[in-house]
Amino acid sequence: MRLTRALDTRPVLRFEGGLDLRLGNLAAGFGLALAILATALWSITSGNTPVGLSDLISGELSEEQRFALMYGRLPRLLLGLMAGWCLAIAGAMLQSLTQNPLADPGLLGLSQGSMITIMVLLLFLPTAPAALIPVAGLVGGLLLLVILRLLLGGNVADGLAILLMGIALDTVLSAITALLVLYTPTEISMAVSTWLAGSLYLSNWPQVLGLSPWAALSFPILVFGAPILRPLDLGDDRATAIGLNLTRVKPVLLLAAVLLTSTAVSAVGPIVFLGVMAPHLAQFLSAATGRARLILSGLMGGWLVLLADLIVRTGATETTIPLGLALTLLGVPLFVITLRLRMLRILLQS
Amino acid sequence: MMPLARLLTFCLSIAIAVPASARPVTDDTGRSVNIPDTPRRIVVLHEPLLGIPLMDLGVEIIGAYGRGDAGELLSAVDFTRATLGDGAQSALPRGIGPFGNINIERLRALEPDLIIGTEYDAAQADLLSTIAPVYLQNTGSGRVRGFEVESDLAGLLKREKALEARKAPYEARVDTLTDEVTNALPGNRFLAVIVHDQINLVGNTSGMVQALEDLGLKREDIEGSVSNAPGSNFAAPISAELFMQLDPALLVLMNSYMDTAQGEAAVRARLDRIAPGWDRFMKPAREGRILYLDPAQVTSPTVASAEHTLTAISDWLSAQE
Repeated sequence: MRLTRALDTRPVLRFEGGLDLRLGNLAAGFGLALAILATALWSITSGNTPVGLSDLISGELSEEQRFALMYGRLPRLLLGLMAGWCLAIAGAMLQSLTQNPLADPGLLGLSQGSMITIMVLLLFLPTAPAALIPVAGLVGGLLLLVILRLLLGGNVADGLAILLMGIALDTVLSAITALLVLYTPTEISMAVSTWLAGSLYLSNWPQVLGLSPWAALSFPILVFGAPILRPLDLGDDRATAIGLNLTRVKPVLLLAAVLLTSTAVSAVGPIVFLGVMAPHLAQFLSAATGRARLILSGLMGGWLVLLADLIVRTGATETTIPLGLALTLLGVPLFVITLRLRMLRILLQS
Repeated sequence: MMPLARLLTFCLSIAIAVPASARPVTDDTGRSVNIPDTPRRIVVLHEPLLGIPLMDLGVEIIGAYGRGDAGELLSAVDFTRATLGDGAQSALPRGIGPFGNINIERLRALEPDLIIGTEYDAAQADLLSTIAPVYLQNTGSGRVRGFEVESDLAGLLKREKALEARKAPYEARVDTLTDEVTNALPGNRFLAVIVHDQINLVGNTSGMVQALEDLGLKREDIEGSVSNAPGSNFAAPISAELFMQLDPALLVLMNSYMDTAQGEAAVRARLDRIAPGWDRFMKPAREGRILYLDPAQVTSPTVASAEHTLTAISDWLSAQE
């Protein structure tokens, strides 16, 4: 292992096996991991039942404390972390796939596909087992992928075509969602509206276990998929010149993004803008490509969801703040500030 | 003396340690639940649909969804006070979190021995069962009708006698009024509508519908109406055009419960905006066959709501004379 400088003069750790680690990425990763740890500790020690750090360290928890942690706070924390991780990674992948920094699972209609099938289930089978919800979300996401594939025809490798068709599908599905909410009984549509705004309040261990394999799917994506994203970031022509078969690679990556999005949406509801916001915030912390970009985006996504849920849980005890709204309230100012700072940095450099 | 004192202490400790006997029941979603024989700390997940019927039976609830930590209401309308008046329990039920976000720690802190929810709470039943037995009661139109929710809950909690005592004066009033209603409304069809931002047909789960049907009136059969579809608890939209074509023997009008103003003027003003000229076009309006009701009083599935409806009918009949 030796410390050298990359072409852009930034320090990089080069390992014998060919692995390169930028020090900036490493520091950002550690920073985000620490932030997640701190937020997680803050989250599990906040709530109606007092649970102190000393209680956690000593392990001597009362029945109430054990209940609060095991049935309320821990499943919520883990589910939020995994959902944020999945959605942010899906967002970062889609941005490389479409070569558009605005691409987001929501913008491409991927979230809507899952939402529609979950809503149909909630509306027409309100007493259906909760275990069917992830299945419905997955089926919806995959159906949307099939429709998108059919609509794209021979343009499966065209990033702009994917984006435009996705937006068109998203618009149609949003209209259907609105119709479903409008013409259903109030008591059901209220529950659906709450879910549509994103929520972690019904988190439980079966949900955590249900989402875990799909969150784990992100690791093979990191190993095998992330290196492909780097040439894709350079543009279709250069990626093809390097030898990438775009007609084969892009649908596979899109499928991976659909799987991550559908399962996350079925767990916490559609969280808009996270797929755009997290990769950009991560990129601001430390410019990265390939695996590092996905990992930093995932960590940022998970951290943002944890922070948003902390606001939901502790911010107002008598008012419902949907998770999506809390995330927007928290993330958008951060997003705007980082964009301004980035512009300022570019100005100073020039 | 000491052995006797010890024996008494032992017996007392046994009495405290042995939990109240439980019995298995099957709830309306088919779940098997062991509920206490005489539950004393009941939490409901829907106060208007479940809490008011229980209070009407004289059962106190300790917690309800939609109230703050100190029991203050989080919604704009106090259905409980409007329906039960002084009959409402004096100790306010404590809240268990804001709408759409049950705080399970706060719920557990109330130490409930029974949680009663609606069929729409099935998704959270398993989680809440870690705190207390959860019984899910049907409340949606197509599944229950009139004040059947109150009857079902009376059966569940063995309060049949309280229900009979509650129903006896109501049934006596129904007997008195039935002939008058039949004579005044020969067509014997009624149409109940609540006006929010659109006109909505009222579903079948309410004391109001029970009272009107007990008086011999029948619901106006509207082709294509979704008001009887399963899942519709309370209201289903109807177009202004279709609404104005209807000619029931009795048109029951209610203003949105979100509106602080109630009564004839308020509902007329709201309808004028949605269906201008309705009062000149509709036959029941021209002939004065309209009953104005306060939805906060008459829409719970209780005998109390049915009694409010009878009072309104009685007043309306007196005004016709």
